[in-house]
Order: sequence, then structure tokens, then C-alpha cells
Amino acid sequence: MDELMQILEELRPDVDFASETALITDGVLDSFDIVALVGELNDAFDIEIKPNNLVPENFNSAEAMMALIEELQDE
Amino acid sequence: METSILNRLDRTAAAYADKVMFKDDSAEITFGDFDRLTKSVGTFLAKKIPAGAPVAVMSGRHVLTPACFLGAVRAGCFYAPMDGDMPKARLNQIIGVIKADFMLVDRAHLETARSLDFAGEIIVFEDIRDTEPDEALLARRAATLVCTSPLYVIFTSGSTGVPKGVITSHQSLMCYIDAVGKVLSIDEHDILGNQSPLDYIAAVRDIYFPVSFGASTYIIPKNEFAVPTALFETLNREKITALCWSVAGVELPAKLGAFDVDKPAYLKKLCFSGSVMPCRYLKIWQQHLPDVLYVNQYGPTEATASCTYYVVPGQVDDDTVLPIGKPYDNYRVFLLNEDNTATPAGQTGEICVTGPVLALGYYGNPEQTAKSFMQNPLNPDYRELIYKTGDLGSLDENGVLHFHGRKDRQIKHLGHRIELGEIEETAKKVDGVTDCCAIYLKEKATLTLFYTGQATSKEIVLYFRQNMPAFMVPRKLVCLDALPTLPNGKTDMQALNNYLKR
Repeated sequence: MDELMQILEELRPDVDFASETALITDGVLDSFDIVALVGELNDAFDIEIKPNNLVPENFNSAEAMMALIEELQDE
Repeated sequence: METSILNRLDRTAAAYADKVMFKDDSAEITFGDFDRLTKSVGTFLAKKIPAGAPVAVMSGRHVLTPACFLGAVRAGCFYAPMDGDMPKARLNQIIGVIKADFMLVDRAHLETARSLDFAGEIIVFEDIRDTEPDEALLARRAATLVCTSPLYVIFTSGSTGVPKGVITSHQSLMCYIDAVGKVLSIDEHDILGNQSPLDYIAAVRDIYFPVSFGASTYIIPKNEFAVPTALFETLNREKITALCWSVAGVELPAKLGAFDVDKPAYLKKLCFSGSVMPCRYLKIWQQHLPDVLYVNQYGPTEATASCTYYVVPGQVDDDTVLPIGKPYDNYRVFLLNEDNTATPAGQTGEICVTGPVLALGYYGNPEQTAKSFMQNPLNPDYRELIYKTGDLGSLDENGVLHFHGRKDRQIKHLGHRIELGEIEETAKKVDGVTDCCAIYLKEKATLTLFYTGQATSKEIVLYFRQNMPAFMVPRKLVCLDALPTLPNGKTDMQALNNYLKR
């Protein structure tokens, strides 16, 4: 989780990722943030995020992203 | 000959009264209702504002925003669209340039509007939308317009740190819309999927193809671009036939693997512009949609968003570099050397453009206007203004234009045009930044700021987030003890470039 928080913090230091729960739904993260984020997460956690994973529920909060990462690591 | 875009709106509103003109994720509006709304807004404004005045418009990503724009035009005025999501400091800069006495907003943006340094009157669209149209008054206002009257002022990055307002006339806009409409054969059967923010130059096709040809436009919700499967689902649900997107927007679904899941089955034409298309992404579109017409468009806001176009003739490879092609109708494009002589075929020169598509200049900035729009140095005989784009190009033996980058430090990033000088001017305003240099690495599409001083990278990014549009925020910050310099004392940008490529 620390590694994820560090990536998020570097990507968007203006966002409080510990408390946000509607990052996509509210448009806090835009499409270009997502492209950058997907690339970094794939590299950092050795996973492959697929288009079907790119739904708001998986990216609305840091916790949801962590759950997705763990799910993909188990595959 | 048409005198203004209103001639077209009158015609399409009559011909397609019950057809959907604009649609978003929660509402739709027919040509008839749209037309009536513009007349209500226009009547209200005409009773308050003299013809020929600017109206600032701040309204969201929905079907009523184009009605605000055209409402201002019905009053014989022109509009200056503002994106309410931009930081207040940026909006205040725009207000400072346009100096409008009236700002038209939707209710959702009222609070933002009130928080700005705006001394004029704020008018809320929802409060005036039911104004009874006064046809006689509107006819008098329409009669004040000639085809060279300004239609809108759209803002773009300026190297001094203040955005420049490019003024476009009715005539320029109609010339461009007709030319690009012909290349894409747009008609009343087309449904466009709007990607561009409505205040941005790239949205003019999505707004004026309906007004001119009876096409419809679906305004795609912004957050769907972060969810590629939802994006394609929307394109299919709305039976979208034509997309005029930024290169960055076209790359997105290909980068995020959207074609592995679905494809836009109704799509017939895709026009992309704003920066150089990396063909490895276009190839993915072509593999899945081989029968779509792909058009590469090139050109600056100062020539009504365009200059030339190139119809992609067949399947591209990863390393194909697309030409920028041939001039649109009513555009004359040629090359000049540094010494203002004609560039021979095959050699590289600065791309220059002339014709009825040239902007009227930069709003309230005669010096910059005189510098950028100048007498054609090849023509001593009569007045012929040209715009020097600052882009380099060469003509091949078939008269096809090829693009070779910039003369100066202007870049294209995420579909937007940015002066690196403006990034640096902004960074220098942050406490603890002594010196800095912005570098753009095209291959990785990353904007990096090298700086010296005590400021943390977080402080700098936060300042940018509060003061600049999101696309102008550096993605990477590097603090150095000193910037590398050349023997003449100037910053050694090549050294910084090499640092990033290491």
C-alpha cells in the first residue's frame, strides 16, 4: 500500500488519496492521469491491467486500486 | 453570400426542426428548441448589450452551452468561452484580456463566476432561457453582422505568461467548416462524438457541423475517456459515425487496449489533429476498422484551426510518418526562408498561410497581432496578410506538405498548444524557485521542469494545479544545483534533453 500511495502522491500531489472515494466518478483523475497510472502500476507491481479492469469501481479510491492490484497479482 | 453563421442556423433550424441537434448523458435538444433558445438568450442580451460587444460564457459540458454561444451571436455580439474547471487565476487572466461587461453562465458555474475578478454583470442562463423572442429586435441585430465580424475569441498559451485571445470571424469559421465538411462528406445523417472541451478550438466542428449541415453531436462525458470500454459502448449506443478528435484522444483507447473488448461499429470517419500522430496507435484503429476514412489535419488556431489535411491512403506501419498533406479549400499555404524569400521545393522553410481563414488577430493586443500577421513579403503589389505559423515544413514533388517540427519553443502536449516559456514564467512565480527550464520529451509525451532553489517539487506542482490548466502542469520535476549553460550563458537545453533520455 505504501508503494501505491507513493506512486499516487507523485502523480498528483494535489489530491488527498487517503480520503478520496470518487476519483473517477467525480473526475478528480482525468484520462491522461489514468494512462500514466496504468503504466506505472503495471511496471511497479508486475501486473497487466486490462481494459475490462478500467472501470470506476476499481480506481475510485486507493483502497480499490490496491484490491485490484492484489487480485491481478494472484492470477 | 452568407453574412453570418446565423444564416445557417436559420436554415437548418427550419429544415430539421424535430431532429436531435445536441445530446449529452442526461439531455437532448432538437434543432427547433435550440434555435428558440438562442433567440431567447439573444433577445435578453440585445436589450442590455450593444451589438459588437464581447460576451464571456462559462458553461459546462452539456447541450445548453452551444445555445449560450449562439445566443450571444443572435444579439449581434461575439462570445469568449471559458472553461469553469480551469484554475481561478487562469480565468482571471482571460477576463483581464477580454474585458467583457457581461458574463453568461449556467447556474452550476454561478459560484465560480462570483469568485472571479469580474466587475461586470453576471447573467444566469436558467434565469433568461424563457425570455419571449423579439423577432424584430433580433433581425435588427443580425443585420449589424457582416461576414468579417468576430464570431468568437478563443484563448491559447502565450510565451509571456498571459494567454492570447485569437479572434475568429464568421467568414473564417464558415470557410473552414465547409472545407473540412467536404473532405469528411458530413451531412445530416452524421452523428459526431465530441471529445474536445466546448471552449476549445477543436470543438468548432462538433458545434458548427450541426449548425451548417444538420448533423447531430453527442457530447461525451469527460470521465468516459478514462474508462475505454464505456467510451466504445457510448459510441455504439449513440451510433456515432464521425469523430474529430485530438491525436491524444485517438491514442487513448488504443493505448488502454479498448479494441481487445469492443470496437465503434458505426464509425465511418475519423479526423485527428493537434499533434503528430504516432502511427503505432493509428495502426491499431486501422486493423480493427479498415473501412474508416482517416484524415490527418494540421494547422494553428490563427488560421481557424487548420491549414492542410492528408487522407491516409492505406494501412500504416509503426514507424510511418504521415505527411500533413494539401491545403483545404480557401487556404493558401506556402513556405518562406528565414530571409523572407520563397523556399524551393524539397527544402525546409517556415509554413505560412493566407486566405479568408486568417484570424482577425489577438484580442486587445495590436503589437503581437502586427508581429504575427504580416504583409506577404513575396507580394509588393497589394495588401495580403499572412500568418507565419512558426512550424517548419517541406513540399515534395507531388506538392504534398511534410511537417518538420517547430522553429521556437512551442509544443503540442495532450492535444493542447503550450509555450514552454509560459511554463517557466509560471514556475518562477513560486517562492523558492530561482531559475528553471521546461523541457518536453516528445517520445514519452512528458513535460519536465528543471529548477534550482529551495522549493519542493510538491510545492511547485501545487502552485501549477492552482493556477494553470491541467495540461500545463509538469509531470516530472528535477531539482538541480545549477542549470547547465552554453558558452554564451544561455541554458544548455540539449544537455537537459540528454539527461532525460539517459
